[in-house]
Amino acid sequence: MSHRWGMVVDLDTCTGCEACVVACHAENNIATAGPDEAARGRAMHWLRVERYWEGEYPEAKLKFRPVLCQQCDAAPCESVCPTYASHHTDEGLNAQVYNRCIGTRYCANACPYNVRFFNFFNPTWDKPLNLQFNPDVSVREVGVMEKCTFCVQRIKAAEITADAEKRELKDGELKPACAQSCPATAIVFGDLNDPESKVSQLYGSGRGEKLLEEVGAQPKIVYLKRQATA
Amino acid sequence: MSDYSTTLTNDLLRPLIQTSWRFWLLVVLLLGVVSLGIGAFAYQVNQGIGVWGLNWPVFWAFDITNFVFWIGISHAGTLISAILRLVNAEWRRPVTRCAEVITVFALMIGAMFPIVHLGRPWLFFWLMPYPTERQIWPNFRSPLVWDFFAISTYLTGSSLFLFLPTIPDFALVRDKTTGWRHRFYAILALGWTGTTKQWHRLESAMQIMAIAIVPVAVSVHTIVSFDFSMAPVPMWHSTIFGPYFVAGAIFSGIAALIIAMAALRKFLHLEKYLHPVHFENLGKLLLMMSLLWGYFVFAERLTTWYGNEPSEMTTFWQTQRLSFAPLYWTMVTVNFILPVTILSFKKLRTITGCVIASFGVVLGMWLERFLIIVPTLSHKYLSYSWGSYRPRTPEILLLVATFGAMVLFYVLFSKLVPIISIWEMKIGQHPQLAHEHQTADEASTMWRTQP
Amino acid sequence: MTAIYGLFDRPDAAQRAFTGLKRAGVPSADITVVSGEPFEAFEFSHRDHSMILFRLALAGGIIGFVLAVLLTRGTELAWPLVTGGMPIVAWWPNLVIIFEMTMLGAIVTTVVSLLVASKLPSFRKDLYDPAVSDGKILVGVPLTGGRSEESVRQALAVGGPAVVKTTQM
Repeated sequence: MSHRWGMVVDLDTCTGCEACVVACHAENNIATAGPDEAARGRAMHWLRVERYWEGEYPEAKLKFRPVLCQQCDAAPCESVCPTYASHHTDEGLNAQVYNRCIGTRYCANACPYNVRFFNFFNPTWDKPLNLQFNPDVSVREVGVMEKCTFCVQRIKAAEITADAEKRELKDGELKPACAQSCPATAIVFGDLNDPESKVSQLYGSGRGEKLLEEVGAQPKIVYLKRQATA
Repeated sequence: MSDYSTTLTNDLLRPLIQTSWRFWLLVVLLLGVVSLGIGAFAYQVNQGIGVWGLNWPVFWAFDITNFVFWIGISHAGTLISAILRLVNAEWRRPVTRCAEVITVFALMIGAMFPIVHLGRPWLFFWLMPYPTERQIWPNFRSPLVWDFFAISTYLTGSSLFLFLPTIPDFALVRDKTTGWRHRFYAILALGWTGTTKQWHRLESAMQIMAIAIVPVAVSVHTIVSFDFSMAPVPMWHSTIFGPYFVAGAIFSGIAALIIAMAALRKFLHLEKYLHPVHFENLGKLLLMMSLLWGYFVFAERLTTWYGNEPSEMTTFWQTQRLSFAPLYWTMVTVNFILPVTILSFKKLRTITGCVIASFGVVLGMWLERFLIIVPTLSHKYLSYSWGSYRPRTPEILLLVATFGAMVLFYVLFSKLVPIISIWEMKIGQHPQLAHEHQTADEASTMWRTQP
Repeated sequence: MTAIYGLFDRPDAAQRAFTGLKRAGVPSADITVVSGEPFEAFEFSHRDHSMILFRLALAGGIIGFVLAVLLTRGTELAWPLVTGGMPIVAWWPNLVIIFEMTMLGAIVTTVVSLLVASKLPSFRKDLYDPAVSDGKILVGVPLTGGRSEESVRQALAVGGPAVVKTTQM
């Protein structure tokens, strides 16, 4: 069966703890920028938790929204990349091919969600983080764009294993690092082509809406939150 | 040869033959400025784009501003040289080569930036369509690949458009010089003699080139504007960008031309050939383009304001009232208020007046490109990801170096090639002899030797 | 081969010499007129008009068009990669490339045709005198086919007083 990977993020359950952010860094060999570079705006959080205040004290409310690559089906970043470094796979993912990237940064400018990041320098890791690399993920060099891949290395590994064992993938067998590490299970990942999967069932929820849907990029991630009552 | 022709030839060959110490001093200074830029670029290639002020989310700033700015300046030649040629405007004669030179060199400088701005500039050739062992070709849906094709075509076309009418002038210089100069210009003249057949073919070729270069020029800056309008982000995704950018390009091109002509007139003593009326005519064109620019800006901003779309309005207020307002209103002043004021009044439309207005326009048009790029990128849809930008030294050095490079190229060109087209000026003395045919009957009647 | 030519100060003088040469029986194709600027008004300029460059430019444009269609369509189909939800062969964006390559084809063909038609660059010794760069107009014929030098000199004299020289070509 062909897969179509999708994700649902429950904003009412999200506590803003940012375990997902840390897990993403660890899984995908993303360096920390350091205080100077972060002050210059070069921090690279493939998955970031956006924090918004609503209302005034004492009725102020804090809202969290994890934002990551929406793997858009009509991704503006794909058509503008001159070298096909950004293209769409047949499993519905927006692939970032580091080897093809020459760093024009057009994709980052075209992305409405600002989920694309650029290696302004060759990444460096303070000891002992340099011993912690994930061997399944390449380390990107200076001048190359990167972004969330839905942990495509885990997807591929699971597919290869399932293929070797001559069986279908089970729902929940495969989780990207963020979904795996979320203590509130706010992030649900799975195959949208499987109607029984948890993500398919949550996808059609009345609490669901997509981010910046009006821009027309056809994002894949559904955010669940309490809708305002009349 | 008539007195006019003799004086013309002498005046226009003098810069080629006589060189003062001032020339060498200027060249050395300019080389110094350019090498600062080259050094900044080398530093950036070695360290990474991080030495610039770019960040998340402002991924383009000075680099693409400079790119669009210089490509815009390159539209000088096409308008003046090609369009005025096509409508047989006689006053264009002393101006065409100055304009075409600006076009070629501004294009070369602008075309460097798609390479300079890359994260991995050593792989720039992947933008070119050629069979590779990776079996992959460029993505023709990307406006950056369109840029490559458009700029290559325009650069090829403009260079040839500049070169073709220099051939007869090179032949002239070949005949009037000796030694290494004679050999050098003999090669450049390609053995041109000036038979009727050669003149006819040359004029046919110039006609075709003039017709072809105009749509190419329009397409080039439209395609450059597509770098922005094809991205669905606030205040970039605008249908007006194509014509707006082309008008802006012609606007900045005329301003650059006025400045270049004023400098040539002063430093090469070309007062006999570049008359106040030439500056007046260009000044009127500059006025018209300033009004056109104002019209486009007004139309775009009024539409945005009426649309009241929240993300667009955020960017809109940044330029209108908030952090970018000082730059924005400076731009409006020097691009519109100042030129329209100076150029509307004949008394103020002197050479000095036109030059002042032109300097303002050059500054204003650079600011315009900057203000299209950075306010939008720093204020996209999700407010948590808004950012800001401040340039750093390598970017500023690169910008200054581009101006140094432009002046250097121009100075070197006017040292090696007559900056005003001599043969076209000669025709200008008696244009009817160049354009109107006599019939065979008229000829045999007028030139009859027997009754 | 010897050639003989006259250098005239004014185009009407050159025209008279030209007419005189034709009257003396020299075929128009053998008469070379060389000048430092074009003189369309005169009969000696009326020959050698041709639309060939325009036709070749059109052909060059068509070749550019075809190459562009092959390049864009061909490479897009050779490795079909989906981008932005657009079709594999996206003809709107391809039109941009097709336009540019059409124009480039026309431009390059024009320049190449100019050089070929004008026989440039030329390394052989053509009938020329550097005085042309001083504004003189050269009218000359090669002394072939039993043409007598005297008759040519007489014909050239019709144009009025002028320097007459001979040269080896």
